[in-house]
Amino acid sequence: MKQIRFVLPLVALVAGMVSCKKDDINTDTPPVATGVYVLSEGKFNNNNTTLTYYNFNTGVATTDYFANVNGSGLGDTGNDLLIYGSKAYIVMNGSSYVEVIDVMTATALKNIPFKNGSVYRLPRYAVAYKDKVLVSAYDGTVAVIDTTSLAIEKNIMVGANPEQMAISGDKLYVANSGGFNPIFDSTISVVSLSTFTELQKIVVGVNPFSVVADNAGNIYVGCTGDYVSIKPKLVKVSTATNSVVKSADTAVGNLRYFNGQLYANGGYLGVPYVRVLSTTDFSQKSSNFITDGTRVTTPYGLNIDANSGDVYITDAKDYNSSGEVFCFDKNGKKKFSFKVTPGISPNTVAFIRQ
Amino acid sequence: MNTLHIRLCWWLVLLPVSLCRAQSGDSVSTLKKVTVSGLKKKSTFTAVTPLQSLTSETLQQLNAPSVGDAARYFSGVLVKDYGGVGGLKTVSVRSLGAAHTGILYDGIPVSDVQSGQVDLSRYSTTFVQSIDLQQGSPATLLQPARAYSYAAVLSINTPSMNALLLPAHQWQAGLKAGSFGLWQPFGSLQLKLPKQAMIGLSSEAVFSKGDYPFHISNGAYSEDTKRQNADMKSFQGELNGVKQFNDSSILQVKFTGYHSSRGLPGAIVFFNERSVEHLWNTDTYFQSRYRKSLGRNTGLLISGKYSRNYTRYTDPDFLNNQGGLDNRYTQQEYYFAAAIDHTIGERLTLAAASDAAYSQLTANLTNFATPTRRYFWNNVAAHYNGGLWQLNGSLLLSTVNDKTGSGKAAATINKLTPSIAGNLKLGESSPFMVRLFYKHIFRMPTFNDLYYNWIGNPDLRPEYARQYNAGLVFSKSINKVLKQFTISADGYYNRVNDKIIAVPNKNLFSWTMLNLGKVDIKGIDVNVEGAGQLTGAVTWFTRMAYTWQQALDVTDKTSATYKNDIPYTPRHSGSGLVSLQYREWSGGYSLVFSSTRYTLGENNPYNQLDGWGTQDAFVAWTKPMKTFCVQIRAAVDNVLNRQYDIVRYFPMPGRSFKLGLQLNNL
Repeated sequence: MKQIRFVLPLVALVAGMVSCKKDDINTDTPPVATGVYVLSEGKFNNNNTTLTYYNFNTGVATTDYFANVNGSGLGDTGNDLLIYGSKAYIVMNGSSYVEVIDVMTATALKNIPFKNGSVYRLPRYAVAYKDKVLVSAYDGTVAVIDTTSLAIEKNIMVGANPEQMAISGDKLYVANSGGFNPIFDSTISVVSLSTFTELQKIVVGVNPFSVVADNAGNIYVGCTGDYVSIKPKLVKVSTATNSVVKSADTAVGNLRYFNGQLYANGGYLGVPYVRVLSTTDFSQKSSNFITDGTRVTTPYGLNIDANSGDVYITDAKDYNSSGEVFCFDKNGKKKFSFKVTPGISPNTVAFIRQ
Repeated sequence: MNTLHIRLCWWLVLLPVSLCRAQSGDSVSTLKKVTVSGLKKKSTFTAVTPLQSLTSETLQQLNAPSVGDAARYFSGVLVKDYGGVGGLKTVSVRSLGAAHTGILYDGIPVSDVQSGQVDLSRYSTTFVQSIDLQQGSPATLLQPARAYSYAAVLSINTPSMNALLLPAHQWQAGLKAGSFGLWQPFGSLQLKLPKQAMIGLSSEAVFSKGDYPFHISNGAYSEDTKRQNADMKSFQGELNGVKQFNDSSILQVKFTGYHSSRGLPGAIVFFNERSVEHLWNTDTYFQSRYRKSLGRNTGLLISGKYSRNYTRYTDPDFLNNQGGLDNRYTQQEYYFAAAIDHTIGERLTLAAASDAAYSQLTANLTNFATPTRRYFWNNVAAHYNGGLWQLNGSLLLSTVNDKTGSGKAAATINKLTPSIAGNLKLGESSPFMVRLFYKHIFRMPTFNDLYYNWIGNPDLRPEYARQYNAGLVFSKSINKVLKQFTISADGYYNRVNDKIIAVPNKNLFSWTMLNLGKVDIKGIDVNVEGAGQLTGAVTWFTRMAYTWQQALDVTDKTSATYKNDIPYTPRHSGSGLVSLQYREWSGGYSLVFSSTRYTLGENNPYNQLDGWGTQDAFVAWTKPMKTFCVQIRAAVDNVLNRQYDIVRYFPMPGRSFKLGLQLNNL
């Protein structure tokens, strides 16, 4: 029995060493003041979308703010965040719903499911127009949400797998990617915002993804191409004639229009920089918007504070570990940066105005 | 995340669950091994490199329906289990990754050139005679060269190979029924034919609803619900023939068919509980083996096989214009191997083996590369028995040549990799033995790594693994109560270089496979086995396995994951079994546990999963009647009804019950 005496303490030792509970997490909920919310999409099928609140005055980033306030997580693959009035709309692609929160408290107001019968519609992006929030969804629709009732009032039929949208005048322009199909879509849908119906489709280029409007009645569409032989394109469409006025082979991912210029990150096959482009001939006003040598590993999200002209670039790093947010002034000099740990792949920055 | 990104995520998340199922198995182990493994208890004590074994007697005491469940009882092994009867189960040995583990079914390698990993939920333990885990290189020299091409080999052995030793016809029939709609009928028949021949037939079906309850934990949205779309139907049949000729050479043939249809319940996604994906597998293979002695000191072994694995995956909800996804893959392999061994004098044995394989993969996808692979293995090995010590060495030349129907093919690869192992008994009657081994081996990039649409990278190099191991074994028969006692402890250091990982490209939104990873692995495996007689009628048996492991990502000093644990690698894990036998009655208790681990490369508490422990128990009554034997067995799995995930958001079943009835002739 000598050996038994040797074995039993070994077993006890092993049992004692085994750590069974995970470590504690930060559950702070500082009050919301002037600052930004950052949405980090997390990893597919990991239910780890997080909302970070960053306070301009304290410089403190509080991660997983939504969960800390509400006690439940957002779910899977948060794709877009829109602040409109006193509410914020979080578009959850994988979990297939839109979460509406109160901007000043982050308290959950409504979970709006995106379902058609039993099929999940997988919402993508949101834009706001006159007390309505319009949400594109992968089932080929744009949902019209009333900002008071927080109910879906109508679903507008557009093209296959719509992505980003832009509003110009009283029309909505929707990029139809067709990204789930063997042959991609190449159109944008023009939707009337008085009748909420599709008026026509305009052929722009293969696999349209991003859309922005300027203040001169033009919209700009980034087309991703087919990832094999058809190259990415940037296309300018006049809303007066609903026709393409300029098209060039240049790869853009997210696209912003600000102060007479286009800001774009690289997208598929593009450069890992944010570039500044001319709206007329798409020539590069700057091949790298960042002028002070700050290195952003993977510029993923791009948002511009219209009040200050500050440019926020989110860094998705390797899409597997915690991301970071950088704020630059309009000259491309870094003002500040903060980590969104444990948020993975931060994609949107939204501005809290008091 | 755009649509490509999402498609690639489907690939990264779902492919392991769906496509790597296409599998085949093969037959025949060497006769030397049969006499050892089949009839006598295998001694892990004499093994040159660490060997663990679960015999059919032990398997009957574990509530492990599949080889994947049983593998959890080995030390050094991490089983990735997606839950339920139909859930994918793959094994990674000593943190090298599933693609470095070779699976031998009755002595011949099972391969999956598409995903590189084999789903062990497909192999039922019903007809298994033993499952062995051999670290490093095979202990027996007369083997196909391919058996040397893995970091570790998990062998599944069925009794069909030593059927010639049976005195008469044999039959077996039974039915198992259990929680969550489980029904599992099985039967086998072995007929002894005249002139030293035998024919055997075995078959099993599994039906399971798999709708086990689990808890979703998400604040106010927490709920108790049931697993959906987890139903499973499978059928398998095997036909075996063995013929011994007058010159005592032996020919074995095996024909196997397997068909399954199952729902893929997928990960638990908050607020999106729908799951309609479905998977079908149809595998057939034929294999044959011929063994002949050329004189007293020379043996010849010739093996061949053909396998075909068809996989169909559907997702009717996929939001495309075709009304859903319907992907079909067919993998075929032709394999031929010849090996010879020769003993010089009393002590030295030399062996040489040459294998060739041709694999191809076709799919109904646009822009699919339609790759084919020609694989050649040439191996020389030597074994010297110095009485108290043994020395074992081998040198393997692997040649791989790929071609594609469209797109670039990988460059031809020629690699020479060695292994060396030795052990020493400390004296003629000493209970102590020390052992050492070193092995350098690589895994080829899989077809998915190289050619999968958009993400595959034909410029990939092989992924290398170096293993160093030092161990001490103590084995002794103490007295009647402790008739046999063995304890072994092995410390190891592994280094993985050029690890193949999916990384984002320099371009946004696109991913590619690259040889980027480096992993440093340190570990200790401890195994204890004991058996004896408490009183005249009561016998007992116990086995325990414990693993301490640290597998660190040492790829990039500037990364947030540097020197963090690689995903799903607990620091501590282990298992235990205690059983008692009294006349017709036997009963046992077993447990498997794991400490906390991280689901992603960055080790923060958000990516951490709770540790778990699950306990099983059984009682069985076995009664020999006049012409046959009856066994009734009742089992409870997860006695304490603990909820746990092995893979995050793939919940494992809680408490479940199983009742089995089995009849066989004496």
